[in-house]
Amino acid sequence: MHIPDGFLSTPVWAALDAAAPPIVGYVVRVAQRGFDDAKVPLLGVMGAFVFAAQMINFPVGIGTSGHLVGGALLACTLGPAAACVVMSAILAIQALVFQDGGILALGANVINMAIVGVLAGYLPYHLWGRSRGRRAAIFAGGALSVAVSALLALAELLISGVRMPASVLGVSLALFLVSALIEGAITMTVMGALEAIQPNFVRQPAAGGRYALVAAGLAAVLLAAGGVVFASTAPDGIARLARQTGISGHARTLISTPFKNYEASWLGAGWLAQAGAGLVGLALVGGVCALIGRKR
Amino acid sequence: MHHVTLDRWSRGASALHRRDPRVKIAAVLVFLVVLATAHRELAWLGAALFAVLCVAARQARLPLAGALARAGVVLPFTAVFAGVSWLAGDPARGAALVMKSYLSALAVLLLVSTTPLPLLLRGFEMTGAPRFLLMVAQFLYRYLFVVSEEAQHMRKAALARGATLGGLAGNAARFRAAAGALAVLFARSYARAEEIHRAMLARSFPGYFRPLIELHFHGGDVMFLVLGVLTPVALRVLIERVA
Repeated sequence: MHIPDGFLSTPVWAALDAAAPPIVGYVVRVAQRGFDDAKVPLLGVMGAFVFAAQMINFPVGIGTSGHLVGGALLACTLGPAAACVVMSAILAIQALVFQDGGILALGANVINMAIVGVLAGYLPYHLWGRSRGRRAAIFAGGALSVAVSALLALAELLISGVRMPASVLGVSLALFLVSALIEGAITMTVMGALEAIQPNFVRQPAAGGRYALVAAGLAAVLLAAGGVVFASTAPDGIARLARQTGISGHARTLISTPFKNYEASWLGAGWLAQAGAGLVGLALVGGVCALIGRKR
Repeated sequence: MHHVTLDRWSRGASALHRRDPRVKIAAVLVFLVVLATAHRELAWLGAALFAVLCVAARQARLPLAGALARAGVVLPFTAVFAGVSWLAGDPARGAALVMKSYLSALAVLLLVSTTPLPLLLRGFEMTGAPRFLLMVAQFLYRYLFVVSEEAQHMRKAALARGATLGGLAGNAARFRAAAGALAVLFARSYARAEEIHRAMLARSFPGYFRPLIELHFHGGDVMFLVLGVLTPVALRVLIERVA
């Protein structure tokens, strides 16, 4: 579910745009570690593969068909960090070239699908990929990756104040569940076919627990579930949260202190000052990313 | 195909095409932020920004109707949410969703159809995006068409073998066949990536792309930057002041 521009409220897209670059920068670093430049064409071509895979239809039920989304499949074959990088590149190309998902919403989409979705998709495989429940783990990974990204997107939309009556919410949750199950089934079957062609396409999960990954994956799942519960019980969530906790008052002073009395000042527009503060923030984030990502 | 048309458009020769990708990125970002943070007088603001984009598209000598239609790809998704908002008793929000998402898509479309993607990605590199990620994106774009064509061939072959005839095989068998096709596509893509890497090694790839042309700011770029940043901001201030 690619969120276009115009759907998310400013606090939501701005926060996620600020959060995404450092995370992606870190993931890029992890993906680069221990790999030569062979990885560049490999990741690029596998990204093109995920695009092309959407053309191959899987029959599901009567007259309908589904297609691969790919996060979990990439995580199980290329490793989670590389999969995050490939999915981020896919989302960037989709937003730029296909107008599928917005530019300001890119941070949100990257976090939903390329980071949290991929990690959640890899988590079951990491935990149970060596046991007898391997196939079930792959299935669960595919299902979880789609379900978690869709739930996160839904939560972000609800927090942004997009109205959704309970009936529509119920229908969309049911649709998410169905597409999650389809993705799980596709991922499991394709992984089986891949192992039949060449077993070493599929990465064995690292022995021993890498607790950081497990924690991150679990946090992702909890975040998605909790986000929807919070957002659906509290429409216009951020505004309400701000009212309840009194953050809105603090936020106003925080923003206005450098530009005192900005509402009466030049051009008479508070949003310009806010936008300026936002741009300064973006520049800071950009600097951090340049430090993290520019190694080579 | 959508991206082939955009690619052709992006190789035009208008004044807008010649601008430095960085100033175009900056102008589009300002446009998007101005639009996304607007809450008042949306109809007027939307009309004014739409006019600005149309003028820009004419300046770039893009087929206006084609560009407007292509930006419409966001509408099906948006229409669903707009309809839901309408039903929930908030038609104004629904209309705002449609207007904002359509204009944002149109602005991005203009950026992409006046800047070849490699140049655009180089522009992003200079804004601090990780080079590795951008190289992956560039390879992705380069091989998108190649791998898609391969997938289309496989699909055609499957259809020729009767993949749509429900009676011949059960759903489960067809599902497994599709999975097999995907696995083969995966294996071929993997092998292709290895070939590409060997070819790159043979040409002594230094680990990054060597740009053939250095990007330089010209007077026109500075003018465009000032104009592109000030126009949406001034329009919004003006409209909110007057209203």
